[in-house]
Amino acid sequence: MKRKRMLSALLVVAMAATMFAGCGNKGGSNSSTQGGKAANDGDIKEFTAFFAVPGSEINDDNEVQQIIAEKTGVKVKETWLTGQTAEEAIGTLVAGDEYPDFICGGNGMPQLYDAGALVALDDYIDKYPNIKNYFTEQEWDQLRQDDGHIYWIPQFSNIKGEEKTCTHNDEAFWIQARVLEWANYPEIKTMDDYFKLIEDYNAANPTMEDGTENIPYTILCEDWRYFCLENAPQFLDGYPNDGSCMVDPDTLKVMDYNTSDTAVKYFKKLNEEYQKGIVDPESFTQTYDEYIAKLSSGRVLGMIDQWWDFAFSAGDAIKSAGLDAQGCDYIPVPVTIDGRKNQWHNSGGVLNSGDGLAITKDCDDVEAALQFVDDLLSEEIHNLRFWGVEGEDYQVGDDGLFYRTKEQRAKAAETDYKASHACSYSYFPQYDGTCDDGLNATKPSGQAKEFFDGLNEDVKKAFQAYGVETYVEMLGTNEAPGPWYPMWSFSNNFTTDTEGGMAWTKIGEVKHEQLPQVVMAKDFDSAWKTYMDAYNACNPDAFLSELQAELDKRMKDAAKYE
Amino acid sequence: MSIERTKSKQKVKEPKTKITWKEIKRQKVLLFWAAIMVVYGVVFYYLPLAGWTMAFQNYKPRLGIFHSQFVGWDKFRTLFSDMTFIRVIRNTLAMGVINLVVTFITAIVFAILLNEIKSKGGKKVVQTISYLPHFLSWIIVTGILHDMLSGGGIVNELLLNFHIISQPINFFAHPGYFWPIVAFANVWKETGWNAIIYLAAITSIDPSLYEAAAIDGAGRWAKIKHVTLPGIKPTIIILLLMNVGNVLNAGFEVQYLLGNGLVQKVSQTIDIYVLKWGISQGDFAIGTAAGIFKSFVSIILIVIANQIAKRNGEEQLF
Repeated sequence: MKRKRMLSALLVVAMAATMFAGCGNKGGSNSSTQGGKAANDGDIKEFTAFFAVPGSEINDDNEVQQIIAEKTGVKVKETWLTGQTAEEAIGTLVAGDEYPDFICGGNGMPQLYDAGALVALDDYIDKYPNIKNYFTEQEWDQLRQDDGHIYWIPQFSNIKGEEKTCTHNDEAFWIQARVLEWANYPEIKTMDDYFKLIEDYNAANPTMEDGTENIPYTILCEDWRYFCLENAPQFLDGYPNDGSCMVDPDTLKVMDYNTSDTAVKYFKKLNEEYQKGIVDPESFTQTYDEYIAKLSSGRVLGMIDQWWDFAFSAGDAIKSAGLDAQGCDYIPVPVTIDGRKNQWHNSGGVLNSGDGLAITKDCDDVEAALQFVDDLLSEEIHNLRFWGVEGEDYQVGDDGLFYRTKEQRAKAAETDYKASHACSYSYFPQYDGTCDDGLNATKPSGQAKEFFDGLNEDVKKAFQAYGVETYVEMLGTNEAPGPWYPMWSFSNNFTTDTEGGMAWTKIGEVKHEQLPQVVMAKDFDSAWKTYMDAYNACNPDAFLSELQAELDKRMKDAAKYE
Repeated sequence: MSIERTKSKQKVKEPKTKITWKEIKRQKVLLFWAAIMVVYGVVFYYLPLAGWTMAFQNYKPRLGIFHSQFVGWDKFRTLFSDMTFIRVIRNTLAMGVINLVVTFITAIVFAILLNEIKSKGGKKVVQTISYLPHFLSWIIVTGILHDMLSGGGIVNELLLNFHIISQPINFFAHPGYFWPIVAFANVWKETGWNAIIYLAAITSIDPSLYEAAAIDGAGRWAKIKHVTLPGIKPTIIILLLMNVGNVLNAGFEVQYLLGNGLVQKVSQTIDIYVLKWGISQGDFAIGTAAGIFKSFVSIILIVIANQIAKRNGEEQLF
């Protein structure tokens, strides 16, 4: 018996060993993003890139990528964020001190800069005309960090020639086309109108055509995406998206939207709607995937979200499931607290100086890397990236206008085709606006006719009823409010090194926990008071005064160029 | 068996072998293998401890360990004045203890019940199925839980159909449900796997003991109480000791994946705190300090538990 007892003791030890071995492995798994460095594939140089945003990888034998590789001599293997936040992914890279060649760290950009992981680009920029012309001197100067160097190139919202924008890429109140159609396309101007319409529609049509119950209004709250819940008060007050605050354009003072009267009204409204069963009870516990699945099923009548957060996933799914025939596509409505004018959509392109494409110290050939970025901005390659191959992905009309046939449009939305054929290098610098021919938009989404022809029937009908042709016209457009705009390019990069950054982190925690409770509370007033007490304990003034200081600095910097 | 021999040798107190060149030569193969393990231990367990100096510095990745500013116990002071960290310790301890007790008891009970099954085939089938969940990763388990416990999930549907509740319960929105859900997830995932070792211990019990007990008139219950349980007691104690040291490893994935804003006060564990401040916020010093604290407490716990076992004349780890 003793022997057998020893046997079981041995088993215990063996099991312990497997346990410890399991623990030991955890640390070493962060090298997966590195991969091959400049591997020689013929004479094609291969770079690696990591983008701290969710994205879908394309196939290794992607056709357009191959064409671009043949023309430029460079191929980039892109990897994306999976199941982590940007800060976690970047923090892991910093801790391991190994980086891909190209990187875009999103909100983790300051960590990369602090770690000394990035290559200063200012000495190189002059050598590459396309990169040089990508920004004006003033814009380049805005990108300088506190050591005076430029480390990253913002990729988006850069407009070449005449602006051609048809989609509102930002945040709005969205409502399904079928709701608007049912009510005969009414004018929706106030928050109360918006929720009343959703209530009325849901009372009259509680289910979809196949009998599935509608979800009248849902709120995405997962992690950093809880902007869908928390930042609406600034939009309801008609302000553009400064992200973390509102800015009075006359006095140039920062204002807090968390404590405004509108905030109280908005959360009180949500609370009422929650008690009525209009707000999805799973709002505060659902994950992003669950949320997208709900939108894709066509059950959700309305929500607040950023276009890019749902349109490319849920939007395409609605189309491929044929739900557009039921009117499940989303239309933005210009809703404010009392019907005042909104400034949600800004023209002219907004420079986000907070993050962009950077080259890391682990890149062994910075010049080749920059040459590639330069090539990507040339018209020929740019068209390949966003339009595709002529004759295959788009046609050129007799008037020189690019257009797509119905089949080409359908193909462009297919997931398989996107992976095997299209390669937009979507997190590399790119242009919106007009091509050098002065005729075509740089991207299909900006080509007015192509855009309108490509819309689903339900959206077309709604647009026609409102007498507009694009999403932007639904909301109206505004000049960017001032040189400080947008403040989120500063607040997104807050770190806990400063008092204000610490306050911002704590405020985030409080809002994550308290705002759902405010909405669900039986007694709104006491819940709101609890929230405000917790909020004020976070020292919000430190946060606001740092925002004010940045605003003043940006105004001063801009004044130099006047 | 070799272990047994060495153990019995120790008892006779054999005179120590003198270290001579001849002896070293004779044992050169053994020494060679031992050296490899020593090097392995130093490289993978002791060298990384040098990183602990980060906890005493205002560590900046750009400056590295050698040039960062030394701040002494500052980071620990910040840590313990942070209410969040205190709460995180509470959560970790609470979930650790709940998990330990619950998984421990269920595994033993399950092993004994399984042992009482007379049909060999049935026993094998149950055992195999019960330990399969161990091989699922947490992301899948939490996905299943999320689906089951959601508003339209099977649990709410059953409760509604049996008229136990009138409104679906949103389980993940109530802080009170969080610890039980985590404990349940652990039990579901690990019971079968943990039971294997007890089953092995039970099979090693001499059958003649059961026969003797039967002759003395012991029924099933009495056999379990007087033969099976004492027979697996050494295994139970050893596993308990090891698990006590693991209490602060109350988990990371399950809380990270199931948590949300509403329950963050009860869901965050030390590991999540380390990830959040160390990795996401880039404050490696705070993260390291929290990690050191965790190791320190674990060592204390395991030493105490071992001492208690020693006093009571039970098996020990060291």
